[in-house]
Amino acid sequence: MTGRKLIMTFPVTETSHLLADYQARGGYQTLAKALREMRPEEITKEVVASGILGHGGAAFPAGRKWGVIKLNDEQPHFLCANADEGEPGTFKDRWILENAPHLLLESMLIAAYALQVRNAFVYIRGEFDLPYRRLAAAVEEAYAAGYFGERILGTDFACDIVIYRGAGSYVCGEASALITSIEGRKGYPRNRPPRLTVRGLYQRPTVINNVETLANVTAIVARGGEAFKTVGTAKSPGTQLVSISGHVQRPGVYEVEYGYPLAKFIYEDCGGVLGGGKLKCIVPGGISTKVLTAAEIETVTYDHVSLTAAGSGVGSGGMVVIAEGTCMVRLLQILLRFYHHESCGQCTPCREGMGWMHRIIDRIVAGEGRMDDIDQLVRISKANDGTTICGMGDAAGYATLGIIAKYRDEFEYYIEYKRSRLDGRLEVPQAEFAHG
Amino acid sequence: MVEFFINDQPVQAEDNQTVMQAARAHGFFIPYFCWHPQLSVPGNCRICMVEVTNEGQAAGSGWLDIACNMPITRGMRVLTDSERVRARRKETLQFITLNHPVDCGICDKAGECTLQDYHYEYNGSPSISRDAKVHATKHFPLSERIVLDNERCIMCTRCVRFTREVSRSDALGVVNRGDHSLIRPVEDGRFEQDAYSDNVIDICPVGALLSTRFLHKARVWYLEPTASVCPGCERGCTVNIWHRKNEWKLKALDAKQNARIDRVTPLENAAVNGPWICNKGRDLAQIFERARADQCLLKGRPVDLQTAIASARALIAAARRPVALVSNWGSNEELAAYRQALGERFTSFVKTDWQPVSGEPLEDDLLIRPDKNPNTAAARALFPPLPADVGSAFPADTDLVLVWGEGFSFAQLPPRARIIYLNSWLQPENGHADVFLPISVMTERRGHYTNFEGTVSAFEPCFASAPGVAHAQDLFAALVTRAVAVST
Repeated sequence: MTGRKLIMTFPVTETSHLLADYQARGGYQTLAKALREMRPEEITKEVVASGILGHGGAAFPAGRKWGVIKLNDEQPHFLCANADEGEPGTFKDRWILENAPHLLLESMLIAAYALQVRNAFVYIRGEFDLPYRRLAAAVEEAYAAGYFGERILGTDFACDIVIYRGAGSYVCGEASALITSIEGRKGYPRNRPPRLTVRGLYQRPTVINNVETLANVTAIVARGGEAFKTVGTAKSPGTQLVSISGHVQRPGVYEVEYGYPLAKFIYEDCGGVLGGGKLKCIVPGGISTKVLTAAEIETVTYDHVSLTAAGSGVGSGGMVVIAEGTCMVRLLQILLRFYHHESCGQCTPCREGMGWMHRIIDRIVAGEGRMDDIDQLVRISKANDGTTICGMGDAAGYATLGIIAKYRDEFEYYIEYKRSRLDGRLEVPQAEFAHG
Repeated sequence: MVEFFINDQPVQAEDNQTVMQAARAHGFFIPYFCWHPQLSVPGNCRICMVEVTNEGQAAGSGWLDIACNMPITRGMRVLTDSERVRARRKETLQFITLNHPVDCGICDKAGECTLQDYHYEYNGSPSISRDAKVHATKHFPLSERIVLDNERCIMCTRCVRFTREVSRSDALGVVNRGDHSLIRPVEDGRFEQDAYSDNVIDICPVGALLSTRFLHKARVWYLEPTASVCPGCERGCTVNIWHRKNEWKLKALDAKQNARIDRVTPLENAAVNGPWICNKGRDLAQIFERARADQCLLKGRPVDLQTAIASARALIAAARRPVALVSNWGSNEELAAYRQALGERFTSFVKTDWQPVSGEPLEDDLLIRPDKNPNTAAARALFPPLPADVGSAFPADTDLVLVWGEGFSFAQLPPRARIIYLNSWLQPENGHADVFLPISVMTERRGHYTNFEGTVSAFEPCFASAPGVAHAQDLFAALVTRAVAVST
């Protein structure tokens, strides 16, 4: 077990994603309570009190984001659930969309009530098929049951929801690029200021939260912010859905209470490295967080404070387990190919830097690297840090700097001998897998 | 008003100004590619990074951010040229030039290219990349007027924003992602319809957008601009007419090459046209490089200027009822000279020299005006317009008509009237006049035009007139038949 649970509280069955099952679990009762017994600002107060941090990767306090929205300011507000889950290694929101779509919808309704939102959006990743069908079916069910539309549950509250399918761009998971995409334009991130909570979708105040962050709202309102805070640690309240993949015995989505020992989670709950191999390192929260070596994770607990102190972060909860014997040069090549492919091309450092780094690592892998190429990669990564419109330039830099800092010897070996010290492997050898 | 500091000097900024705007207003230079005073702020080139420290923060603890999108807060301290800023600019320029072909040697923009200037100012080092550059389309025709070199393009998107925000043709967009991004027309032919399309050539900070008319015609350092006024419509946009510098005159080639209008660019003028002009203004060469008349004629027989003037004076002296058609291409000075010299002797009407050409945009809400002549306002302030029924302008006993400027058919004149004709162009009518006097065009003299709003703009001479061609202003003085004091 990985600590207490807030979201994965029910057994997944053939029908557990349907409205009837959700209602049988007490679904939409929190919405009824919120609409009938609470004023909008009270809900925001509970969310602030809960101290919940964003689960999309940046860990921005959701309550502070909501607090920027001025109620009764005579203009429409918008709410958008960010379901454009594109960070490599991350597939936790998919679990919510597939298995608990009504939890997301109820939470969004509560959030819409708290933020005086008439029109809510779900921006869902284009590649998501089953999650989209499940969510669309859930929206149909919810409309039929009167949870959306006019006079919801007999109150004056009205709310409509639109599911907007993205076209599969990584950058569109960035909040401002996401709303630009909803507006029908090319998914370019926008410069701040103004912040999106001041001028967002259609130039109106907009709250964009990650699916998992929103899904927690029902629990926060049902229990109360202070009670929610008792789960997890003081600085990282609640739980995190962790999607774990890579060279791991039992990959999948786990709900981990903040403060849970990381090594225990990997070695016991997930069964350790595939085929009984040794752990080399992990990517703790999506490839944009820095890798942590096997030695480094021994004392780390899974929460924001501990992971940040270890030089990485919770990120988007997409954990990748990397077994001993994996070639980090090849791994970095794959990461940089991804960043190059997904750079939107709007601002200079990322547009040029991603391709540059990709070409350098390709050259190293082809055996044509030179020793100063490693420093060049470091230089480009640093030149991207904090200079771009969105966080993607920084993200690619972190990933690169993390790997080079810890595995520089593999790069030097590759450049000197024109081949990988580890045979360029990314997979765990079949033999080990067989008797694992 | 907000007070803050740029390079430790106090600056009073307007409310809602960005650091970039306030810095420019107070004479501090911050480099920029994508920012443009008339366009929205995309913040994508990242060259305008400055170092900022908020009030109360320790010096040196500041952060770097782009000046073009930075709101001003009271007491903030901005450094535009600190060590960190220079290092960051250098890095940004290394990114920008990474896939830029640096083919300045064959680029029309060389010599007036922002990227060149900044490279020498802020970078100056050779490329630090060993990898092949990304190749892209070298010659992509955006329209008949403009070609795009995608390799030189630095994706500042000024052209895209221009077509969206100023000309409103929405003709251009960006396709693809990352370093494969390309500027492309949104659909075929739409950019062709954009009457302001050539402005993107000027606002392009590099040589990515090129005029097909100017392509490989001249190096810009051989050219110089002369301030002028576009005669294409009554807006009277101020323009720069670019022609060869005197010290670079071509000696081996046809002299006509030296009187060539190489290109026309807007002369920024907030009172009239802002930083834009329309495509017709770019094509002034089509107006001014038509075949010129340089020979005085008496009923088609070549004579010298003095003989022609004497004949004209004799006609004017003998006339009982002379009528004149005044050109609305005449400058304010010429119109005044005409009125002083001949205004009392002749019954004068303002004629319309140029009618709209078919297919030409008649009017829009940006610059283009329906009257395609430059000085109608000033001319009509002095004389009535020629009535629509032309015949009613000429009494039955009209015995002399002075026609000034082109665009008038002699067939509309009373058959018995003698004709004195002042025109610049080689046209068949010239030989039908009793006296024909060739006159200079506006690129050969100094003067002023008054636009439809009453704004007066000056134009300067670019070229010398051909021998045998007189200025209309001088001719009017020479044609005076009553006693006036003429200075020699």
